[in-house]
Amino acid sequence: MQLKKQMPPEELARDERFFKFDREARFADTRFLRRSGPARAGRLTPDRPEAPDTARALMHGIFVGEIQALEGAGRTCWDFEIGAGHDDVPFQLKLDMARQCWDEARHCEISVKLSDWMGTDIGEFAENTILFEAACNPDPVLRLTGVNRALEGLAIDVFNTMRDFGIESGDPVLEFCEDWMLADEVTHVKMGSDWLRRLTEKDPDRRERALEFQRVVDKLFSAGGFRGEEDENPIQLGRRFRELAGFTTDEIDELADISRASLREA
Amino acid sequence: MAVITVTPQQFTMVHFDAARIAELASDVADRVGLPADLAVTVEVDEKVPLGRTRIASLDPLVVAVQGGAFENAKNLRHLSDHSVVDVLGRIFHRVADRLDPRFADAPDDDGLTLQQATAWDAYAVGRCEQAGFTPQKQRRLYHFRNRHGFNDVADRVFERLWSAPPGSLGWADIQAACDETAAGRESAA
Repeated sequence: MQLKKQMPPEELARDERFFKFDREARFADTRFLRRSGPARAGRLTPDRPEAPDTARALMHGIFVGEIQALEGAGRTCWDFEIGAGHDDVPFQLKLDMARQCWDEARHCEISVKLSDWMGTDIGEFAENTILFEAACNPDPVLRLTGVNRALEGLAIDVFNTMRDFGIESGDPVLEFCEDWMLADEVTHVKMGSDWLRRLTEKDPDRRERALEFQRVVDKLFSAGGFRGEEDENPIQLGRRFRELAGFTTDEIDELADISRASLREA
Repeated sequence: MAVITVTPQQFTMVHFDAARIAELASDVADRVGLPADLAVTVEVDEKVPLGRTRIASLDPLVVAVQGGAFENAKNLRHLSDHSVVDVLGRIFHRVADRLDPRFADAPDDDGLTLQQATAWDAYAVGRCEQAGFTPQKQRRLYHFRNRHGFNDVADRVFERLWSAPPGSLGWADIQAACDETAAGRESAA
């Protein structure tokens, strides 16, 4: 039996513990219109009364994100043939994706143990599959840019924020786990940056389309001021780690601008 | 049986049922041991999807709850019976404490430090477990560690508060627990 190519998000395998986030219900939720999104929550710091529960919810989001990142990297290994054609990928790219699968699988295990540590049950919060949806782009370059630069870039910001929270709250387990996962995410983003440049070296139009796709994904995750460099942003932009991952200063500035615009709109 | 009033009676932004909340609150109040003739108003702010709660007034007793505290985290805007029981079990134990003269020196809810609030919660939620509710002990321990330190002293104090029998502690014991963990944090630093 031939495994299916290009699997849709609706077919992700989950057991009965998981509940899918209802996006229609979220958009119909008028409470969020009145409250103007999560930006009002501000930076995640231990002195906030609800900080431990906010960290728990965020950690659960990381956990399901790691599952989807594993599934996304796995699909990229399978969905594309090896070759030099437009819809093909080099074998070395598949090797990088296989390595990323190994990292993400380890991150899933770490996240489960961290959730135990923080008192969170698997499936306690609904799962948003928007990460995997970005990993369904049929163009391998756009997919890799959306996943490895936008989403794994977001992971840098989230892990950096959680690591800082662990340091400030004196939680050595959270601090070290996030630090280790953060190191992997920097590598994943660097792989995305390197492959984007290599695969579009002679195709500037395709590179621009890929970067535009990345901007769309970045904007989704900056909505409502969720991520940025201001104190109002719950997730802080990890500027230094993004530089290590191959982002230019201009690219990081552009991301900060997107975040500021989203905050103003919120 | 305590006399429970839930406001609003009709929810427009969330799919909550005031009668169901009142039914659950009444049962929790009885199991916690609140006076049978006590009038309790549960004010739900349905506009706010966050989960803060507080005793807004002791006489008359008014419990203020942000809508998110009663919400099903898996199903937006829907009521979670488990959350109602979990939240009100903790608050009603605090109410029972505040009606006890040994808690006369306790600051009002807005005046509690994060350490005091979390230590009191450990005592309150521990009694919920003893009463047969199903709270998340590890979650409460994580809250406690965030406020009192990630060290052995904090863990020992948490266990002592969690397993304390109903009516066995007063405000001085809660404050002593906070002082003990503060000393533990200093020696760890």
